[in-house]
Amino acid sequence: MSPVTPPKPSPFAALLELPGNVWKSIFRNPLPSNDLERSATSFTNFFLHIHPVKVHKNSLRPAYTFGLGLISFFLFVILIVTGILLMFYYVPSTTQAYDQMLDLRGTVAFGTLLRNMHRWSAHAMVAVVFLHLCRVFLTGSYKKPREFNWVVGVILFLLTLFMSFTGYLLPWDQLAFWAITVGTAIAGYAPIVGKDMQFLLMGGTSVGQEALLRFYVLHVAVLPSVLVLAIAIHFWRIRKDGGLSRSEDADPVISLEAIPTVKASVLEPKKTYGLQGLVRGPLTKVGQIPDNTVFSWPNLFLAELFTFVVTLSAILIVSLLFNAPLEEPVNALHPPNPAKAPWYFLGLQEMVSYSAFWGGIGVPTIFVLLLLGTPYLDRGPKGVGKWFSRDRLLANTIFITFVVANIIFVIIGTFFRGANWSFVTPW
Amino acid sequence: MAVNLKRSSGEDSDGGKTSRRRMLGWLTGVGLFGSAGLSAVSNFVFIKPRATYGQPQRFSVGKPEDFPEGTRSVLGARGICIVREGTKLAAISTTCTHLGCTVASAETGFACPCHGSRFDPDGNVTGGPAPRPLPWFQVTLAPNGEIEVDKDIEITPGSYLTL
Repeated sequence: MSPVTPPKPSPFAALLELPGNVWKSIFRNPLPSNDLERSATSFTNFFLHIHPVKVHKNSLRPAYTFGLGLISFFLFVILIVTGILLMFYYVPSTTQAYDQMLDLRGTVAFGTLLRNMHRWSAHAMVAVVFLHLCRVFLTGSYKKPREFNWVVGVILFLLTLFMSFTGYLLPWDQLAFWAITVGTAIAGYAPIVGKDMQFLLMGGTSVGQEALLRFYVLHVAVLPSVLVLAIAIHFWRIRKDGGLSRSEDADPVISLEAIPTVKASVLEPKKTYGLQGLVRGPLTKVGQIPDNTVFSWPNLFLAELFTFVVTLSAILIVSLLFNAPLEEPVNALHPPNPAKAPWYFLGLQEMVSYSAFWGGIGVPTIFVLLLLGTPYLDRGPKGVGKWFSRDRLLANTIFITFVVANIIFVIIGTFFRGANWSFVTPW
Repeated sequence: MAVNLKRSSGEDSDGGKTSRRRMLGWLTGVGLFGSAGLSAVSNFVFIKPRATYGQPQRFSVGKPEDFPEGTRSVLGARGICIVREGTKLAAISTTCTHLGCTVASAETGFACPCHGSRFDPDGNVTGGPAPRPLPWFQVTLAPNGEIEVDKDIEITPGSYLTL
């Protein structure tokens, strides 16, 4: 009859248990020691729940993905952190920006290192995002049901380029000034909206304070917001589209013929079976099929941690060894001769040196439209999940031709162009 | 029962109810997306400056004596080159017609360091990607005896101001 009274909590005991209770209120699970806890850890942690509880072994194969998507994301994280720190000192003013660069170099603690990290991560991100795009193409991973995520990926690649372009304008050195001049002039060649777009980007009719402020706002607010949103969609869709692509033979073939069909009545005659009995029976094989997945904890998370540590270390080492470029302060009267863009835009610059419209607008637009349209033009279901699959010989050949052509243009622009953009030999 | 029958017959055959609902749906959609579209457009109206504070396009460059006969003087800050031949005078743009870099004087006329456009001394394209010759600007002699250049008015290449 007497109700069970809970022991009266003593204030002293609560105080003693306080650290433990706070910890447990934040982290719901102890370090997992069995499969249920491994699932729960992936599932209930805010930062981990974007991952599946179990991940396919194929997604963890370094030779399949080379971790390129993940490296791109980690580079973006490094860029956000270093970028926000740099914002504490940077002033988007034509009279102060360059001085702030010298200040970062000379007086600000870790200023040089942070600027180096920001610049080299940006260069690396352009390269790695492009390699990631190549990986996805060459493994046929854009095919159904991943068509739209490929489109989001192409948009992310373009955003990365715009981020990088708006970024290297900010030091307001010679590179910055002439890049804005040329970049906005290329926009001006776009049909119909070109001249308005050029005017909007420059905030006037000539490159000056208004243009710098506009590119600053684009770089630190507009483009990062769009980029974060696009990354969120990209990641979300990876899960919804069934994880990373894999070939059909990455999963074991379950052949019903191979399993000997045994009538339940043979096993235990005269017994009715409940659901539990059925799932343990020989036919359904729940929990016994080798499904080639492993728990995300620790397999996936360790792989991610490893990738992050390697990425950050590489950026740190490069940033300690090499200083980010900074050209002379702006001289609006004389462009440097030759005036060269960073390496990833030199292919574009080389193309523009033949024709402003075709090199700067026409060919890039065709290229982007082809990229965006790839999953909707190449509808064959075969060849997904394999590098250089023979089923996709045509698509891969076309793609590689485009890539090699672009690389050749970059090489010409880098090594074979001298004063007044005339052809020179580097030896 | 009677009410039920009436309602079901009204939805099936009459169609008046559904079309009204559809119409309201359309109106709501058009209203919402229209407002969103207008807001987006107004953002561009906002960021398009109504007044700009660039350099004046019409300016004085000095007295004719400042430009001796047979000289070509590049006024970098103004983006022009003053050409003086005998008693004739002209102003040629030094902004490349390709992508807006500043061209430099070269032995053969002008050369652009950005993408390799080349021009002859009169500004005609002799090579590279430039789509048009360098424009010539109107040059007038102001009442105070100074030479005035108006970069808003392009004139036929080869037409000089005779002093």
